Amino acid sequence: MTTQAYFRPRSLAEALGLLDEHGPAMLVMAGGTLAMPLINKGVSRPEKVMGLRQAGLDYVRPVDGGVYIGAAAPLSRVRAESGVPLLAEAVKNVAGWAVQNIATAGGNLFAPPPAGDLAVALLALDAQVKLASLKRGERLVPLAEFFTGFLTNCLDPDELLVEIQVPKPAGKSVLLKYGRLYTNTPAIVSVAVRVVTENGRAKDVRIALSAVGPHPFRARQAEAALTGSSLDSSAIAAAASAAAAECEPHTDPIASAEYRRRMTGVFVQRALAQVAA
Amino acid sequence: MASKIVTFTLNGRETEVMVKPLTTLAKALREKLGFTATKCGCYEGNCGSCTVIVNGEPVLSCILPVEEVEGQNVLTLEGITPAEGLHPLQQAFHENFAIQCGFCSPGMLMVSKALLDKNPHPTQAEVAEAISGNLCRCTGYDPIIAAVLQVAAGSNGNQGGSHE
Repeated sequence: MTTQAYFRPRSLAEALGLLDEHGPAMLVMAGGTLAMPLINKGVSRPEKVMGLRQAGLDYVRPVDGGVYIGAAAPLSRVRAESGVPLLAEAVKNVAGWAVQNIATAGGNLFAPPPAGDLAVALLALDAQVKLASLKRGERLVPLAEFFTGFLTNCLDPDELLVEIQVPKPAGKSVLLKYGRLYTNTPAIVSVAVRVVTENGRAKDVRIALSAVGPHPFRARQAEAALTGSSLDSSAIAAAASAAAAECEPHTDPIASAEYRRRMTGVFVQRALAQVAA
Repeated sequence: MASKIVTFTLNGRETEVMVKPLTTLAKALREKLGFTATKCGCYEGNCGSCTVIVNGEPVLSCILPVEEVEGQNVLTLEGITPAEGLHPLQQAFHENFAIQCGFCSPGMLMVSKALLDKNPHPTQAEVAEAISGNLCRCTGYDPIIAAVLQVAAGSNGNQGGSHE
């Protein structure tokens, strides 16, 4: 079946109304970099599609040192305008220039691992996502609680992800993406770390991983291993091996699960060493 | 839902095209409007062959619904090719052996044009990053980067375009 309708709502209210009216039978897309390839190849044959480009969700709005990002903001705009270096670094790793102009911040959160380079930075930054429904209004969910499994999340069928909220980043942060090529490449592992120190000791630690589990996640045991330490090499090594132990990598044409696990340890160690330096 | 008419500016001219829902810009250009310089390699946003310029920004026309360019400014390789001779980028690609089979060339040329319009004097690294989403399986990338740098050294890369 070919697509019978392509809706282009001009506001969030109109988008939520269309979702309420047509329900899960309607495919929601923003930039289309995930949906259109599947539609072009006939793998996905949605009867109805809603595109969010015109729905007023393409803003990048710096707020109190942090940033609010509309779900349909192109990644190139996030890279240029967020004012948060970790996000710019994350976008730099996403495909090429033309894709960064089309792909969106919100859409990137729905990419199947190992694709999806933004979430790991957002997790390290304690980002929240705003979910909206016509009948039940809005709710804010920490990104760490948004993902529930491989390609699953806590979004209800009548909800849209409308905004990503990033608080003012405290501490020092580093993002490392390891792939087979320098750019335009799927991750073997992506690591984002952020550490707030007080009197030379790690007070708040975020260690986020992507491409080594069913969804991007915080490595809580690695975070715990580093918290309270003086970021010395033995504490960093303990955190790195905790991360390697708690990740759940898979084998695909990019890398084996075993290699991914080992590289998780290596790149968590390198990222933390950069933070400690 | 029936077909609808999409109106946009194509290479400086008001253009109308009647399309079914979700028809891509690449398909509209090639199959409806006869603008076949734009090539489709993968239909999934990986190869960059279908790159065109919309409002000054390179985008992938094979994954962009044509309805999204309603009222906007689309530039394809036809739009920068002069009636006589070649655009400076085309000339430089020719001189540097940056074209072999030619399938990636329209995309390479358009992303290079977009780069030089924004940054007339890019470094080698900036050219490499700009074309990093465009695959070439013949010449390798060095001749292409050399061609873009040659244009940057000699001119602003805008000459010969009918669009500006």
